[in-house]
Amino acid sequence: MHLPRFEYVRPDSVAHVLTLLGEWRARASILAGGTDLLASMGQRLAQPKVLIGIRYLPQLAGVEAAADGGLRIAAATTLSDLEHHPLLAERFPTLKKAINAVASRHVRNMATLGGNLALPTRCWYTNQTETWRNARSGCFKTDAQACHVLATSDHCVATSSADSVPALIAHGASVILASVRGQRTVPLADFYREDGANPTVLAPDELIIAIDVPPCADRTAFIKVTPREGIDFGLGTIAVAVAGSNRRVERARIIVNALGSHPMPLRAAEAVIREQGLTEASVEAAAVAARADLGEITNLWTPAGYKRRLVRALLRRALDDVRRQKRGPAPALPAPGLPVAGEVSHAV
Amino acid sequence: MPSKSVIRLTVNGDLHEIAVSPMETLNQVIRDGLRLTGTKRGCTSGSCGVCTINDERGQAILSCISLAVEWDGRSITTVEGVERDGKLHPLQQAFLELGAVQCGVCTPGLIMSAMGLLNTNPHPDQRAIDEALAGAICRCTGHIKVKKAVAHAIQQIAAQAATQAAGAEPHGPPA
Amino acid sequence: MARRPDLHAVGKNQPRLDGFAKLSGRSEFSDDVQLPGMLRGRVVRAGISHGRIVNIDISAALRVRGVKSIVTVDDKPNPIIGMYQPLLNRTVRFIGQEIAAVAATDDDAAFEAASLVKVQYEPLPAVMDLEKALVPGAPQLHAKAPGNLAWEANEAFDEPDAVFAASDRIIESSYASNPSHNCYAEFHVCVADFSRADKLTVWSPTQSAVLFQKTLATAFGLTEGNVRMMTLNTGGAFTGRGMARPHHFIAALLSRKARRPVKLRSYSDEEFMMGRAGGRAQYRFRTGVMRDGRLRALEADLLVDAGAYIETQMLFPRITAPFFHLLYKVDAIRYRARLVYTNNLPYEWHHGGGIAQMHFGWGQHLDLVAREVGLDPVEFHLMNAVEKGHTTRKGVTFASCGLKECIQKAAKKAGWKRKYGKLPPNKGIGIAIGAMASGAKGLYKHDTSAAFIKVGEDGTVSLLTGIPDMGQGSHTTMAIIAAEVLGIEPVDVTIIAGDTDVTPFDLGAFSQRGTFTTGNAVKAAAEDARSQLLKVAAARFDYKPAQVVFRARQVYPKGRPEQGIAFKQLVYDTLHSREGRAVMGRGFYNSPKEVGSMAYSFGAQIAEVTVDPDTGFVRVDRMTVAHDLGRAINPRVVEGQIDGQVFSGMSQVLYEEVLMDDGQPLNPSRLEYKLPRAFEVPEVDHLLIETIDPYGPFGAKEVGEGPIVCTVPAIANAVAMAVGEQIREMPISPWRVLRAVSRQQDQDDDAA
Repeated sequence: MHLPRFEYVRPDSVAHVLTLLGEWRARASILAGGTDLLASMGQRLAQPKVLIGIRYLPQLAGVEAAADGGLRIAAATTLSDLEHHPLLAERFPTLKKAINAVASRHVRNMATLGGNLALPTRCWYTNQTETWRNARSGCFKTDAQACHVLATSDHCVATSSADSVPALIAHGASVILASVRGQRTVPLADFYREDGANPTVLAPDELIIAIDVPPCADRTAFIKVTPREGIDFGLGTIAVAVAGSNRRVERARIIVNALGSHPMPLRAAEAVIREQGLTEASVEAAAVAARADLGEITNLWTPAGYKRRLVRALLRRALDDVRRQKRGPAPALPAPGLPVAGEVSHAV
Repeated sequence: MPSKSVIRLTVNGDLHEIAVSPMETLNQVIRDGLRLTGTKRGCTSGSCGVCTINDERGQAILSCISLAVEWDGRSITTVEGVERDGKLHPLQQAFLELGAVQCGVCTPGLIMSAMGLLNTNPHPDQRAIDEALAGAICRCTGHIKVKKAVAHAIQQIAAQAATQAAGAEPHGPPA
Repeated sequence: MARRPDLHAVGKNQPRLDGFAKLSGRSEFSDDVQLPGMLRGRVVRAGISHGRIVNIDISAALRVRGVKSIVTVDDKPNPIIGMYQPLLNRTVRFIGQEIAAVAATDDDAAFEAASLVKVQYEPLPAVMDLEKALVPGAPQLHAKAPGNLAWEANEAFDEPDAVFAASDRIIESSYASNPSHNCYAEFHVCVADFSRADKLTVWSPTQSAVLFQKTLATAFGLTEGNVRMMTLNTGGAFTGRGMARPHHFIAALLSRKARRPVKLRSYSDEEFMMGRAGGRAQYRFRTGVMRDGRLRALEADLLVDAGAYIETQMLFPRITAPFFHLLYKVDAIRYRARLVYTNNLPYEWHHGGGIAQMHFGWGQHLDLVAREVGLDPVEFHLMNAVEKGHTTRKGVTFASCGLKECIQKAAKKAGWKRKYGKLPPNKGIGIAIGAMASGAKGLYKHDTSAAFIKVGEDGTVSLLTGIPDMGQGSHTTMAIIAAEVLGIEPVDVTIIAGDTDVTPFDLGAFSQRGTFTTGNAVKAAAEDARSQLLKVAAARFDYKPAQVVFRARQVYPKGRPEQGIAFKQLVYDTLHSREGRAVMGRGFYNSPKEVGSMAYSFGAQIAEVTVDPDTGFVRVDRMTVAHDLGRAINPRVVEGQIDGQVFSGMSQVLYEEVLMDDGQPLNPSRLEYKLPRAFEVPEVDHLLIETIDPYGPFGAKEVGEGPIVCTVPAIANAVAMAVGEQIREMPISPWRVLRAVSRQQDQDDDAA
């Protein structure tokens, strides 16, 4: 890797970060884990003038148990620290599984949750070195109005692949964004846009501060399908959260990712489950209904048709998994004495 | 040209003061600056694992996608810092005896990946072992004897700890 | 395993002698080399598939501070006949072709300068598809190769047409394999020091220092002795590091011009260009067989995408053609191979050397033949398999052959009878057999390895060898062989290797010649040293030399170990004699054959797989490997060789594909090129079949490439059984499986 030139700054507070972001806006990038950003910079996909290092700000690291039994995860918490936090094993096993699915152990030891949420979309034509790209014309992400993945598309359909995202959306999580203009909370489901070139609503001067996960008594499941376990992008991922009993489903959230430029809720399938409950037949019906929900599918490694078929299988497996679970995690009570922000117990 | 700054970095217990530019990676500092070439340079984008080192918490991290400026005041362990008193660590010994070394380029990274596991999870199951190693590639061994060596070393270390706790003489490695 | 009681070092597990250095971070690889004043190189590569270079403007690049040399077509080296060399012409024929190169004091300057080299092209139409390139009117790549036919090989033995006509059945099927890349742990790198016009020193991973020396000497008008190859350690080779590649020439050119050493190392996707990740191949096989399953005639027709230039691909037919002779007793054989020019990356060898890739089709074809005649593949292979003493149509006689034993033992160990045809849905079991030459003469009139042994007064030995160790463990194997002959321990042997100014001649570690050829040379050198000691020992004991035993660092008359003296004492006495003999052994080995090898290894493998019908993923649960390797010199290292090939074969047949799109690889990275890792590893059972070859050192034959030839088709056959039809294109990717699964499900639905 050979990095383009930039200045590095290490602010001493969140306020300082926001000031810098307000000043530099799109010319600056936040450097947290760096696992994706630095590789992209090596390919000249990103060429920020300034990197703002936030990894060492104590306010941005750690997991807190919220009073209501939910979680507040500071954005620069590493995925490993999050994954090994006792609260996840206790109350959010599906979230733990999804975090564990991200890249490799090495990468999770460095990468942060905020970075995973803001992970740029990927495709084979743009995520290449500059010399590789120079042999072709540009695209929506560079300097042209074209998409090499799907020639007929009027926008970028590069794949959204962050594994934590569908699980967090299924859990009803929201992100807290801050800028010098103020702070706002956005449901994670609304954080993403149907545009691979500009995949989130994060403004150039905004910083992801934290992720709030509400308490969860749902039955949940997460599946990632990848040919190479341990480090790979999913060919498809699914997260499911179901409230209520098999007979009376009060709410169902079904989110798929790694299929197109944004995480997709499967509304029609959710409706089937809500209306019919969770039975062998309804699971099958939901799998069929899901077809209507699928927008553009981005086929990179796989030929057309493979992923549509895959979604049916994913849905069937995830819902079957939930159907067989007796109940979700025990209703959470705020517990004193749990590790506080910045203190994580898995490492010696 | 962005200016250089001086970082204080402890490597295998030795403190170094090194002038680095913002663009320099930890891998470059370790290899080109400190001449500790046991840490290899591979894909330089975080996917092959040959550059793996341990941070101060003992975790396996990738030196190729770490900026050196971010390591000011911190400490790391490289493969050169694993052996003790000129003797291989039980993990290295297991690699040697069970035939988990072939060409040797991925070996330091695999050792540091497995050390990352030992440092953070004293009783890993097979899944944790696979996970710890899957950030690295090795066509030569096909990971087969590497997995066996890591599992064997974990057993050895646990057994030694048990015998030491019981006050007995530690066993030598079995053949 | 049969351990001969009179062997004390051979057959024992000896940890690698270089293990300590490799495990503790002390071993040095070419990328670790730092020389005073060393520059960093960067290659300027073509961004078009086909076109003429109109102009190369280096003026802006020259102005970058720190730039010390720029080379372009004007700095071309001498041409080497039959080989593509960089910068030799003004026509671009593939994206990534080397146009120019820069050397500067650091990477920043080299990158900047390289980006400022401006190349103007006059584009030409390009052709990427192998078959389209052969169609009349297709864009032509080379004037000397009308119709884009780069090379054609034809062979026929006996009367194929007549034998086919006399066969009860003729079975035909076609297969294809896609481009792949070795993903060496050590990326492509070359450090060249050509500061002195009369001496070029090169540090680079290689399988053959000698071949590098020869080509570089020719290119730069030097003698071989003036090219010094420093091999150090080679970080994986997998048949891909046999010959000097463009980056070696370019590093030398840059160094010559700058008069400073230059390091040229691949950067990102360049690894796939330097590694020449081309090479789609299509295979058509035809077999004449009798009703009872007896094979009569074999026919193979290969069509290979050579890419834009011939580098070493003309060896492809020479390497693949013999394999139709090695496994089965047949009456006639016909072989054709065509190499076709396209505007793709040139093809370079990948693990298995084209042979394993061809066996993807060949092994599946034979499985099909077995099933078409209603035979269990195990019975079918046993019925037709060659045996010890068999002479092939090419005149090779097998002095040792454990093929049938491999088949039988593998089948027994894997529980074949219990499982074949009786497995639950989505499970499959498959067998494939293979053979491999231990060294293959043909590149030159000789196939020589030489060795020197220097015996020290303290009883330790320095062994000088020219064979590189790229992970296969040859250095340790050679130490064991020397130790066995001299009755000392392998740890008493210090290996001196990797410097052509010092080490004796050795063609290198390719064609599976290491253990057999270099092993025989080392054995001869050790025997030479021993004979020098024997004279003194025999006189001292007053015994015939044949009655003196060297063992466990002792030398004694046969049957009387109590009369023994220490080996080092004998060395001391030999030196401190009136003759003053310093013990130095020398030896060499060259196959007495005109072409081919004296020894062939054989193998059989059984794969057991599980297919996920929803995702198309294939999991290899278990591989049972039986390999006739003559003798296992170092059994655990042998297992390691087998493991690596099982993994790599599995990886290639199920995962690996360089996806080419308009002449560019879409997945040129360790992340996107799906080499599996720790999670995807199968269980492996090793059955080492020791047939004690009369020509091998202590009976040993190759084990470095034979196993992978079986792995690839064994897995393919197991998948075919699990999904109900053969997948005829490699790799067997999930969607290829899923397509087959849904086709089969549709058929089941139709039948219901």
